[in-house]
Amino acid sequence: MDLYAVRILRSQPLRLALTISGVALCIVLMLFLFATYNGVAKGSVEYIQKNPADLWVLQRNAWNILRGSSLLSAEHGEIIETVSGVESASPILLLLSAVEKDSEVATVFLTGFEPKTGVGGPPQLVDGVSVGNDDEIVLDRAFAAKFNFKIGDQVRIQDHTLKVVGFSTGTNAFVIQYAFVTLRQAQSLVGFPGLVTCYLVRIHKGTQPRSVAAAIRDRLGGVEVYEHEQFLQNNIREMQTGLLPFLYTVAAIGAIVLTAILSLLLSINILERRKDFAILKTLGAPSGFLPRLVMEQAFLIVAAAGILALIVFFPLTSLIEKLAPEITAQSSAGQIAAVLAAAAAISVLSSFISMQRLRRIYPLEAFS
Amino acid sequence: MNLKHDPSHVFELVNVTKVFGADGHKTQAVQEVCLGASPGELVLLLGPSGSGKTTLLTLIAGLMKPTSGSVIIFGKNVEEYSSGELQQIRAKRIGFVFQTFLLIDSLTVSENVALVLRFAGESPADARRRARRLLRQFGIEHLAQKFPDTLSQGEKQRAAVARALANEPALVIADEPTASLESKQGFDVIQTLLAYAKQKRRCVVVASHDLRIVQFADRVLRLEDGRLVHSEANVSDRPRPLVNDPMVAGETPGKPRVTTRQESCRSSTPQCPLASIR
Repeated sequence: MDLYAVRILRSQPLRLALTISGVALCIVLMLFLFATYNGVAKGSVEYIQKNPADLWVLQRNAWNILRGSSLLSAEHGEIIETVSGVESASPILLLLSAVEKDSEVATVFLTGFEPKTGVGGPPQLVDGVSVGNDDEIVLDRAFAAKFNFKIGDQVRIQDHTLKVVGFSTGTNAFVIQYAFVTLRQAQSLVGFPGLVTCYLVRIHKGTQPRSVAAAIRDRLGGVEVYEHEQFLQNNIREMQTGLLPFLYTVAAIGAIVLTAILSLLLSINILERRKDFAILKTLGAPSGFLPRLVMEQAFLIVAAAGILALIVFFPLTSLIEKLAPEITAQSSAGQIAAVLAAAAAISVLSSFISMQRLRRIYPLEAFS
Repeated sequence: MNLKHDPSHVFELVNVTKVFGADGHKTQAVQEVCLGASPGELVLLLGPSGSGKTTLLTLIAGLMKPTSGSVIIFGKNVEEYSSGELQQIRAKRIGFVFQTFLLIDSLTVSENVALVLRFAGESPADARRRARRLLRQFGIEHLAQKFPDTLSQGEKQRAAVARALANEPALVIADEPTASLESKQGFDVIQTLLAYAKQKRRCVVVASHDLRIVQFADRVLRLEDGRLVHSEANVSDRPRPLVNDPMVAGETPGKPRVTTRQESCRSSTPQCPLASIR
């Protein structure tokens, strides 16, 4: 690393500080996007992941619960339980529902489940107890924090008043959060007793899920039966379909902004030192010297910005999570390394963009 | 053109013309110039502003190619060198002194000198060591860690000369080296360049309109409107200035070598004023 690159950058401290801050901000943005994606990815499917069901039975053509609708009847459950190898078939009913508290209204992914089995209920409680009666509700912790719900509070769903009895985790799907009531309460809210979304099937130990799934399909017809892992992947894919284009778009904008900032600074530095560079060419600077000088500047900026970004990122994430509890950011060392590597790659790209200017600097300019 | 080089010449210009601009706006910066110089010679290009001195220097340095004619540097036509070879020649075999010194402001004096040593292939550590030694030799070691913008004009030019001579180049090109200096400082710079030419037997070409330098030159070439109008060997019995400059260590200077204009060109082209001998 040449001292000259450091000196060039240090000669304009304010500009350098602004550039490093701008680049650091872009890196933080990318880190945050990926961390949020992790959080959303985990939160969106954690309910399914932690569910003990071996098989998920849904209406034909339904393949996920995040953005799909499935309607089955109580009779389906009775038939499923008669299939060989089935230990239990627990119904759940999922519906989007408006929750009112005082004058505030928010939407939740209301999940009706049978309290006596607990299957399909909150995967983990962080406070309070699970739903035991029809007039009780468990809310997602992030949702409760956002709307300042406390245990014991009353909420209204349509014309039903429910008491908050617990808070759950692993139930924050970023754009919406799960809430849990009894199946009977959920059915009463829909107005169709006996209506369910899907059945969560447990099978006997030693039984092959695939063969049980095939048997359920044979017996019922008009249903989809998914093994646990396959259903999990279906939902992950659905979540990614909705989220990844947005994520990639914002990440791409961040990368473009980063490239633009770096290229601009490097180009300005080249223009300001046009005469110096012409002198260096006259004095016999090797052909790679000036491009290397530009690249070193880019690397120095990105390295400084990367360090600044890491210093800022974690406290900033905590702050954002406090201000917006529904946002869960989870970083991995691999993703941080990938973002920093991407920033390094962008520094190389920016260097190449700026280097075009070097070609138009002629040694003769030293004599002008 | 039947061209035969004088192998003793550091460079030769044979019927060199340089035209700038496009049709309708052409400027002939240099017109049919013939010139050559040998080791140990200090050649002065004298002429007013716009006479083509700087263009001629840049042609001699191989920084641009002539519109017509031949520029031969170190025995080879400049057209035959690759850009990489020309870069190597500039790094190792040509030293430059500029009118406004043109030190790199972001680097210390020592780093400025070390940079050209590195361009010539020295390792960073060796370059730093040698730069220190050179600055000591030039009596400006105390300026080593200073940045150019903190130096006086004279100090800047001494640093610039140290940089130019760092690689002991076979050819030194100095463009108006005294123009920004007071008399004493200008005298010192020319004295150093002359001593370098004589003690190290290197070729120094100085472009200037400063008549005070004339007395130091082995040969004075007058340029007007891009043409060499007069070439004069400095054979007068005027007392030669002292050339044993302590800044340039090396062999004891002998009597300045005097060149005549007939020695400088081996071209057979009739337009060349120096072409008569072959």
